[in-house]
Formats: sequence, C-alpha cells, structure tokens
Amino acid sequence: MRRQITLLVAATTSVVLLAFLVPAATLVSRVAASRALDAGQQQVQVLIPSVALAGLDDVRVAVEVAVASGRRVAVVWTDGTVLGDPSAVPDGPVGSTAAQEESADGTRLVQPVGRADGGTATLSVLVPEEEQRAGVTRSWAVLAGLGVLLFLLALLLADRLARSMTRPVRRLADTADRLGAGDRDARVEPAGPPEVRAVGTALNRLAGRIDELLTAERETAADLAHRLRTPMTALRLDTDALPPGPARDRLVDDVDALDRTVDAVIAEARRSQREGLVAGCDAVAVVADRIAFWTPLAEDEDRSVTVSLPAGPLPVRLAADDLAAAVDALLGNVVAHTGVGTAFAVLVEARTGGGAVVTVADEGPGLTTAVLDRGVSGAGSSGLGLDIARRTAEASGGGLRLVDAPGTTVVLELGPPADQGLSAPR
Amino acid sequence: MAQLLVVEDDDRIRGAVVRALRERGHVLSSAAAGLEGLRLAVDGTPDLVLLDLGLPDLDGVEVLRMLRAVSAVPVIVTTARDDDASVVRALDAGADDYVVKPFAAAQLDARIRAVLRRAAGDADDGAGPVTVGGLVLDPRSRRVTLDGAAVDLAPKEFDLLAHLMARPGAVVTKRQLLAEVWQLPYGGSDRTVDVHLSWLRRKLGETAAEPRFLETVRGVGVRLAVPAP
Repeated sequence: MRRQITLLVAATTSVVLLAFLVPAATLVSRVAASRALDAGQQQVQVLIPSVALAGLDDVRVAVEVAVASGRRVAVVWTDGTVLGDPSAVPDGPVGSTAAQEESADGTRLVQPVGRADGGTATLSVLVPEEEQRAGVTRSWAVLAGLGVLLFLLALLLADRLARSMTRPVRRLADTADRLGAGDRDARVEPAGPPEVRAVGTALNRLAGRIDELLTAERETAADLAHRLRTPMTALRLDTDALPPGPARDRLVDDVDALDRTVDAVIAEARRSQREGLVAGCDAVAVVADRIAFWTPLAEDEDRSVTVSLPAGPLPVRLAADDLAAAVDALLGNVVAHTGVGTAFAVLVEARTGGGAVVTVADEGPGLTTAVLDRGVSGAGSSGLGLDIARRTAEASGGGLRLVDAPGTTVVLELGPPADQGLSAPR
Repeated sequence: MAQLLVVEDDDRIRGAVVRALRERGHVLSSAAAGLEGLRLAVDGTPDLVLLDLGLPDLDGVEVLRMLRAVSAVPVIVTTARDDDASVVRALDAGADDYVVKPFAAAQLDARIRAVLRRAAGDADDGAGPVTVGGLVLDPRSRRVTLDGAAVDLAPKEFDLLAHLMARPGAVVTKRQLLAEVWQLPYGGSDRTVDVHLSWLRRKLGETAAEPRFLETVRGVGVRLAVPAP
C-alpha cells in the first residue's frame, strides 16, 4: 500500500511538473530570442537617420563603430557598396519595407532606407542564433533543478503520508494474522484514518464475539458432560449392585458401550475447544507418531507393518489430538479384529485439492460396510471407532470410505486447513 | 473399614454410592449440599470425603477450599467434568484424587483405599518403594529401576506398572486396568491396555513370547510374575 501511494504521488507530481515546466521552458526561450531581436531592432533604429541623411563616409564611420561594439551590422549603399560586416548582408532580394530573414546563422533584420538623394540603401543587422539563446540553457537548468527538487519533496511527503496511513492498517493485518494463528487474546488499538479505526473496532468486536462463542460452547460441553454422566453414574452403580450372573454381565457390557458412546459425544462437543480458532496439523507427523505408538504391540503380535509416508508435511484441517484419535481408532480396529500375525499397511499421500489421504489396509477377514453405516454399536464391535474416524474426517472437510474384501481397507480423506489469506505478503 | 462422607446432590447417585460402599464394609454418612457437607466434615471427622463439584448451594471447589482451611481430611473429587482445567483446578484446591463420572463401585473403592493408604503413609512419614524381584518402583518419586538401572516410563506406563506391582502374582483383567488406571469404560475392541503393556515389556527388556515380569493370561488379563529368588 505504501508503495502504491508513493507511486501515485510520483505520477501526479510528474504530470503537474511537466504541465508547469514545459511551457515555462518554452517561454524562457521565446523571451530570450525576443530580447535579442529587440536589441537588434534598436540598433537599426539608431542607424536609420545616418543612412538616410549622411554621406557615405559618415555612414561608414557609424557602421564601423556599431561593428566595433559587437554588432553585426551591414549597409548596402545605393551603388552596391557594402559597409560593415558582410555576413549581415541579406541573402535574398530586398523588398520596399522592413523585413526579417531567417537563416542558418541567425535572424537578419533588413530595413530599406530611402535617401534624400533618391536612392535606397539597405540597412541590415544579423542577430546570431547563439545571441537569441543566450541564458536559455542556464534558465532551463534552474527550472529542471527546481522540478527535481519538487519531485523529491513530493516523494518524501508521500512516503511520510503513506507510512502514517499504512501503519494502522499493518497493525490491523498483524492482529488478524495473530487471530488467524489461533491467538484468542489478539486485539488491535484502533488508530489511523476513521475508516481504518472503524475496521479495527469491528475486528476487536469480532474477536470478542468469537471468544464469547467458544466460551459458551465450552460451558455447553461441560453442561452436556454433567447431564449425560450423572445418570450414567447412577446406572453404572445400580448395575454393579446386581447379583452376579449372565444378565448382569450383559448389562455391564451395555453400560460400558453406552459410556463409551457418551464419551465420544462429549469429545465431539469439545472439538471446537481443541481446535481453538484455527484447526491444523501435519497429517504425516501425526500418523508417524501413532504408528510408532502401535509398533511394539504389532511386533509382539508378529504383525508385519508396511508404512508409506511422504517426505514433506501434509497440513490438514484438524487438531492433532483429533487426528491421532481417529488413527488410533483405525489401528486399534485392525489389531482388535484381525488375528495375531495379520499384516497391515498404512499409507499417507497428498489429496487432490489439498489435505491428505490416510489409508489403513489389513489382510484380515474384512468388515462389512454395514458397520460404518451403523456407526455406534455394541461392545466388541468396531462401529464406534470407525464412527469417530468418520466424524473426524468429515469435520476436516473430507470423509471416510470403507473398501471391503480382500481384507479391509479404510480410506480417510482429510481436507486442507482453511485458507489463511491474511498471511499474504505485504 | 473407614468412615466416609459422601457429598453429592443427586439422590440416586448418593444412594447408590452409599449402598455400594456400605456393602464393601465402610461406614457412610452423606450430605446433599455443600454447607451441610462442610458441617459434617468438620463435626463428624470422617476418614475421607467424596465431594461432588456440582453442588446446588456452593461450587464444589469452594467447598474444598473452605474445608482445607480447617481440615486435612483426604478428599476425592467426583465430577462429570474431565477437562484438564477442571482437574487442575480441583487438585490445586486441595483434592487428593479425582474420579470422573460415571465410575464403578469397585473403582471408587480402590481409589478410596489408595488415598487412605497414602494418607496413612503420610502419617508414617512416607510409603516406601515397592519391590518385586529386581524391579523397584517408588511411588513418591515416580521412579522405577530394574536390576539397579533406571527405567524411563511414560505416566500411564508407570501407573499401569504401579497397579500391577501392588498385586504381585494376581491376575488383573483388562477391564479392571482400563477402569482403574485409565478411568475408561471397557470396550471389547479396546487395545489401549495391550499397547501400553507392549511398551512396558519393551522398556523392561522382555517380549510377549519371553516374559519375565508381565505374563499375559490369555482371555483373562495380565499378571505381574514374581521371579523365583
């Protein structure tokens, strides 16, 4: 912005200066020429009486005096005799009235003078080109210097002005960047022109509102946890109090399954708290970390694990904890639902359009896609784990696909982080 | 047997907790509100207080602070809030332990006994390290050594080992471990315990095929074996 303002002022100043300096330079040139011609004309007027009335010898003396004073004067006497500077004699024929003759070496002022004896002598004064331009170059230099000085002054003022205008805008952008990076306390002190101050106030109001909403959501999640877990506690304690037997065992399993579902619902309600203002993590790093976590168990169970991870990071729109929980759910399913020694593979690759695709494939007996559709299911099933993974993938803007037979392949499509356009270079 | 005070506003939970703990041999008194709970805690001098944080008259953390001003009685907080901030707030206010709802009676009883043991340990100037064969676990410094060499364990690995070392030779089910170490409900497909056991085995220098301390009892659970002297 600062650059644009400076460029705008530079362009405007240039136009104004050109509009002023070009006519001024032309005027200077014309005034110099006019002054020189006036001096020549004056010389003509001085000599006319002598040429008209005096004799040849007197005229010769007067002309030589003028030539000696630096004037280029010539008189063509009635008989053709040339007196004075021959270069001042006009090239062409001379008319009956005063004339001005332009030539390569200057301007000739030609004045026919009628003599008392009846003849006509021609008086001419050559005003050389250099005399007509005397002082013009210096005046032009002064004008150019003045122009450059004014231009630089305008640039300096424009830069100062641009700075004072862009500083509050820069602060606004920095605050927006901090908010975008997840700093919920970022606020700007409104400053600068009224419009920029208004934007600053609006940004602060927006940040405050987001903060309020997140706080309200945290309270809602806490309230949800309380409302769901309190009756769950009574249910669990009552179930515990039942006499031992198959019915009690079934009830305990059901309460466990219900409890896990409640945990998943509460965890889902807390997603925005985990994510803060901006959700984002590197899918490659998170998956690598989870594979490392599950490797000892895989080794203990003689499972061959094939891992394929890209070299660079793949940012996705998820909190690292959420992605870790989803990957844990998938790897946990593999370990729980396939026999000891069953190999599995984890593949992470870039997703078309941004984000990442995480594929977990095993060589086990395979799951039916009905498990995914059912979502939450009883103890021993993989339904809840897959449901967690599916919700996580959908929250990132992606989804979960289940490929049945041979074995089971779960494809987790994860969306890219929201565009943080505020970080564009300035 | 211990004398316990339950401060809980929900009638069903309070009744169920009282019944369950009474069946396990404790003597119970109960209060449905914070102020009444404070009065009973001060007047009745219970061995331990089970305090719910969501009370109708006073915030549970405030009750805890007020109680701490006049009494050093062990307190286990019971609450539906399991977010880190709530846990830290309660522990900072002086809670000795924290049980997230919903809890099983057995889990609650185990925690009560553990807190009471710790409290008794405080009175005896510290609970000593637990030793099983070459394995030594110090619950106070949270350090573990194997044949004299320090073993670097993650917090959950330490808790898991501590739970098993407290019951040497006994088979502990995965359901029990999940409930008492993780405070999580059991699911048939849950492998959290297994993966931590694998890590623990690796750090103790053993494998599932050749266990030294951690023996899997297929279909039942795990047992900390006591090596022959």
